[in-house]
Amino acid sequence: MIGYYISLAMRSLRGTPILSALMVAAIAVGVGASMTTLTLNYMMSRNALADKDDVLFAVQLDNWDPHKAFHNPSEMPWQLTYKDAIDLLRSDIPSHQVAMHRWGGPIALEGSELRPYTVEARVTSRDFFALFDIPFIHGGTWPHAADNNSAYQIVLSQRTNEKLFGGENSVGRTVNFNGAPFTVVGVIEDWQPSPKVHDLNNGDFLESAEVFLPFGLHRALEIYPWGNTNGWKSEDINSYEDQLGSEYVWIQYWAQLDTPEQMERYRDYLTGFIRERKAQGRFPRPLKFGLSNPSEWLALNEVVDGDDRMLSWLSLAFLLVCLVNAVALLLAKFLRKAPEAGVRRALGASGRSIFSQHLVESGCIGFAGGLIGILMTLVGLALIRQLAMGHMDTVASMNWLMMLSAIGLAILSSLLAGLYPAWRISRTNPSIYLKTQ
Amino acid sequence: MLELRPILSALWRHKISALLIAVQLGLTLAIVGNASVVIQERMERIARPTGVAVTDIVTAKFMPVAKDYDRLRAFRRDLDMIRQLPGVAAATVSRVPLTGGGSRTGLHTKPNREVGATSSAQFWGDEQLVDALDMKLVAGRDFTASDITETSFSSGWRPSKAIVTQQLAGELFAGGEALGKAVYLGDEDNPIEIVGIVERNLGPWPNAPDAGNAVFYPAIMDTQWFDYVVRAEPGQRDAVAKLLEEKLAEHDPQRVVTVKTLQEQLDRYYAGDNTMIKVLSSVAGLLTFIVALGIVGLTVFWITQRQKQIGVRRALGATRSAISRYFLLENLLIAVTGILIGVAAAQIFNYFLASEFDQPALPLSTTLSCALILLGVSLTATLVPALRAANISPATATRSV
Repeated sequence: MIGYYISLAMRSLRGTPILSALMVAAIAVGVGASMTTLTLNYMMSRNALADKDDVLFAVQLDNWDPHKAFHNPSEMPWQLTYKDAIDLLRSDIPSHQVAMHRWGGPIALEGSELRPYTVEARVTSRDFFALFDIPFIHGGTWPHAADNNSAYQIVLSQRTNEKLFGGENSVGRTVNFNGAPFTVVGVIEDWQPSPKVHDLNNGDFLESAEVFLPFGLHRALEIYPWGNTNGWKSEDINSYEDQLGSEYVWIQYWAQLDTPEQMERYRDYLTGFIRERKAQGRFPRPLKFGLSNPSEWLALNEVVDGDDRMLSWLSLAFLLVCLVNAVALLLAKFLRKAPEAGVRRALGASGRSIFSQHLVESGCIGFAGGLIGILMTLVGLALIRQLAMGHMDTVASMNWLMMLSAIGLAILSSLLAGLYPAWRISRTNPSIYLKTQ
Repeated sequence: MLELRPILSALWRHKISALLIAVQLGLTLAIVGNASVVIQERMERIARPTGVAVTDIVTAKFMPVAKDYDRLRAFRRDLDMIRQLPGVAAATVSRVPLTGGGSRTGLHTKPNREVGATSSAQFWGDEQLVDALDMKLVAGRDFTASDITETSFSSGWRPSKAIVTQQLAGELFAGGEALGKAVYLGDEDNPIEIVGIVERNLGPWPNAPDAGNAVFYPAIMDTQWFDYVVRAEPGQRDAVAKLLEEKLAEHDPQRVVTVKTLQEQLDRYYAGDNTMIKVLSSVAGLLTFIVALGIVGLTVFWITQRQKQIGVRRALGATRSAISRYFLLENLLIAVTGILIGVAAAQIFNYFLASEFDQPALPLSTTLSCALILLGVSLTATLVPALRAANISPATATRSV
């Protein structure tokens, strides 16, 4: 029966090309606009670390101005001081833990044709790769000692290895980074979570680091981070050592706590950690720390911001207008075809079959609208990528799931729109039309 | 104009279709009204004067490839070279304003205070800083070569002189004279004398609540965050950018040089606001278009349905204009109903947006101007079918009865 209804629908659509085109256009535009913003929101609210949501925690300590809480929803600084990070690393409670920050500099290869270029770097303790489950293609991470003493070792991303060494196993080779020779100890598979859940202080959707350096290099290289450094009191900084010993916060910290007991112990440990420092006259605010798993961390950092959410509400309202529009047009179209329905009724078709016939027709309009809607979404996303000037490249793209949802949304909305007009026409009294024919 | 009664009774027979059009218009008004306040707010934000010659400035960053690079020496040598280049009006080395990256501090008007600081952006530069950014000095004096110190952030150096923006001066010394007064950093007692006041500078973060508060210190800092800020003579920017890239690489090949225009960096900073403006305007435009299509579609349908009645009216002596007027009036009734729904819906939407997303309040005047535009669109959309209806010949009435 469905096949027959579809062929009837096709014939009917061909019969009123302008009205049909208007409806398809209305649904396509509505679907295009809402899918553009819904895709953005969907891509922005992804969590690359969802499978480790139970065990990974971003660590915050409330070491801030006694007179004024840190200005964010958690009322705690996003990052830690260097000295606290170093002390936390000594704990043996977490299965893995990472102290890190963003950095960067020019990279070059001795005796190579390649011109030196600037790369994004991450200065981190060795557990980074284990904690975030990043597989190595060659080699591995640096030894424990490199987290405390300067060791000129470097881990490259696959892309960097491709660029510098043509993709061959480069473990043991030397690269020049920021003027110093580094030995390659490992090459990792490319890891580009988007949003960049491990580092939400430096552009949520920008690219991740291309090289990784041990945390023990700070003193040797006098590293100042490429990221936010926040302070709350004026301090005499007369040397790099003063910078490391200051109350400035600039280190991001993650811990992996696999069991509830570990969690319990770590909470006790952090409480003791802050008490100890309070006794030394630091941590002037009430005792407070934060352990947020990746999804909480994404929410806390407002990765999907007010503008994005507002746009998705707006586009749903847009779709609603398109729907109302489709209802009005469908009603007009069906009523115009009422004589045909009258004849079918007179020939014995039930009210229900007239109803389904017209619902199928609405569905066909929806399907066509959905296909064109996908095209419009792709155009919309391309425009947004261009307007956002690189901020959105990783999120403004459509996958199969979103394409199917677009078709689904279009069919669903056109069926909804078709309900009343189809019901209306199915209640036609055939006698009126038989009389005038 | 006495046709209201027949129109109303005819509309009553099509109440669902008529209501659908009215609801469409109402929702459109609610969306377009709210979109236009947001658009207006963002456009005003972007159009604010920056206090800086955005269109003439080129910035250059370098990163040395060699270790233990003498950055201060490179700054001196490069600046000497840059200032000689043709088309360059002024040049300094500083952090670049309006880019979304910078440094912020808290200033006090009394020494040794812990609370109540005024938040402000801070910049460092040499005697050409004010000139290179093309800021207007409104009081006091500019820095001179003898004011400038070469130092670094880890040296413990504290400034003794500063230039501030008018806005910061006003916030620090409410109403009073700021020139010659001292300000203090954090809980320190080192006085920093305000020697000059510039008209305006939006600082590193133009969208921050403290944007416009900026303090400038006479120093060149040994830091990788300092870029050359070069102001070109009007119309010379692109030539200077090209020259700068060439000459800096030539001057010292052991570094990676990146040259950008300030305009490009400011555009990038405002990219989010700009996206909102463009997306909201297209939404408003498309919606209006869709509604217009809907109105055309429905009016055409009604007219086809009523062909016979129109013919009868014409045969009974109604003029062409009376027929067109009938449909226009009918549409006006629907549109006014829709707009009444829309004005209420717009306020409800706005209440939601303001409480949920901190959007600006929707003034009635904006709603009304959007309503007028929609009314116009609605009538225009009816006009073509209504004029066509007037052409229906009276003969139609007699033919098929």
